[in-house]
Amino acid sequence: MLRFVFALAFLVTSGVVFAQEPATITVQKGAQLNAHISGISGGEGAKATGVLANDLTLSGAFALGGTDSANFIISGTFSGGQLQGRVVDRSGGTVLEKSYSGDLRSAVHQFADETVETVTGNAGIATTKLAFVSNASGKKEIYTSDYDGANVRQLTRDGGISVSPALSPNGRELLYTGYQSGYADIYKIDLGSGARTRIVKSPGTNSGASFSPNGSSFAATLSKDGNPELYLLGSGGGGRRLTNTRTSESSPSFSPEGSELVYSSDVSGQPQLYRISASGGTGTRLATSYGYCTEPNWSPDGKKIAFNVRNNGNFAVAVYSLGSGSTRVVSSGDDAEDPVWARDSRHLFFAQDRAVYLLDVQTGKQVKVITGLGKISEPTASR
Amino acid sequence: MMSLTPKTILNVLCAGSLALSLSSCKKGNKAGDQYAGVDGDYVNGTPLPDRPGDGASFMSANVDKTQFQPVRFGYDSAEVSASESGTIESLASFLKSGSKTVILAGFTDERGTEEYNRSLGERRAQAVRNALIAQGAGAGSIQTVSFGEEMPASSGSGEDAWGQNRRVEIGVVK
Repeated sequence: MLRFVFALAFLVTSGVVFAQEPATITVQKGAQLNAHISGISGGEGAKATGVLANDLTLSGAFALGGTDSANFIISGTFSGGQLQGRVVDRSGGTVLEKSYSGDLRSAVHQFADETVETVTGNAGIATTKLAFVSNASGKKEIYTSDYDGANVRQLTRDGGISVSPALSPNGRELLYTGYQSGYADIYKIDLGSGARTRIVKSPGTNSGASFSPNGSSFAATLSKDGNPELYLLGSGGGGRRLTNTRTSESSPSFSPEGSELVYSSDVSGQPQLYRISASGGTGTRLATSYGYCTEPNWSPDGKKIAFNVRNNGNFAVAVYSLGSGSTRVVSSGDDAEDPVWARDSRHLFFAQDRAVYLLDVQTGKQVKVITGLGKISEPTASR
Repeated sequence: MMSLTPKTILNVLCAGSLALSLSSCKKGNKAGDQYAGVDGDYVNGTPLPDRPGDGASFMSANVDKTQFQPVRFGYDSAEVSASESGTIESLASFLKSGSKTVILAGFTDERGTEEYNRSLGERRAQAVRNALIAQGAGAGSIQTVSFGEEMPASSGSGEDAWGQNRRVEIGVVK
């Protein structure tokens, strides 16, 4: 009910008479709102309408249908690189009216995200950028794309092994592991200028970089001290060690405040999840009840950890609730790997069946968003 | 001839580490923390030397990968088994008798997630390195790198292929 209270409060303060129809807006938490897209006019209106319909459907917040049952009517005009978007409620009151600039997809994604946020109070995910590994060229290279699989671009042409990408929260920088030197080094790419720097080239293996929430530092696994351990590193590559074990640590992920990290360690004999203060200390194990727990990813709302488990011989994506301490498998099908939260803490991206999937954890609905690029792995998302 | 018991490795490692890095062997196994040390002690291993100045890597042409057989591992394990002691001893003797550098490259089978496997491959390479140091080889002549599940020795699936792929390959810099 919380979301509805927010929406109602918004509508009331907007001067919209909404209380006339209470029955139609009594929604349970997570229930979908009925919406009708009356269309986006303009030369490329049909294309824009299609992108918008896909965005609103993938958000999980809306059930698109006809006008009769619609709580919200959504329309717009796209011309001259400008989208004029409008959302009205069923009594005709304006909920959102705003213009968005950029190319067609970018403008529509902005409109979709603001529609979701205005109506539900939760962040939209349509402006999210992804990066991932594909072997389509015959070698593993880093690619980028929009969250819906549009605008796929091959970023690296290293011709070797380029893996473990991590997008910065604002989507403007990318860290990855490249083997051009014959060893595993961490590279940083400024996605605006294309400038690339090899920022970690310590002896041994340097990999698994993950940005802090404000993007100013990152964590990674380095083995220079004689064992794979976690390090906290500045944008120039210098830093300090976080862990101190006889076994291997991998795949750090920051809490939303940046004060803690979750990671995988096999210090108990099998890979398990641990959380540790960003200022160091010792790791505390999360009791997930699974024997193989890797690739943890902390949700932006701070409440959940998505990670990989081995479940009946298959690899699956699970979610651990920090509040209740319970774990549940959320992916369906075989061998789902490398989950990463979308910014709404409701959706996960992960790799499965050579593709990237978007999963609505709330409904269990799983949609293939990137495919047809050989084997795709290790997705990462902007926040 | 020294036997490869964990305690022996630990003692030798601590002795070797002290020479290279005073921070590598310390007491600090508090109750309830995640470290499973022996008698309250734990070690991380011996810090790696700087990479070879001539750019030699496991991938470069001046490295001979055929001189020594790969060291094989059990599933999800980085333990150097007793059956590999022949390879370890001959490689340690080779290192002690000359001034060659070796690059130990760790690999995993295809199962499991990729970044975890990179970490596991590195731990395998470091486990072989530790075993060599325990046999008296100089820490400064042994580099490591992990390729995780990349470049499998066998492209098949199933235990035969997986067993061949869980390995540390030994590259001798010519």
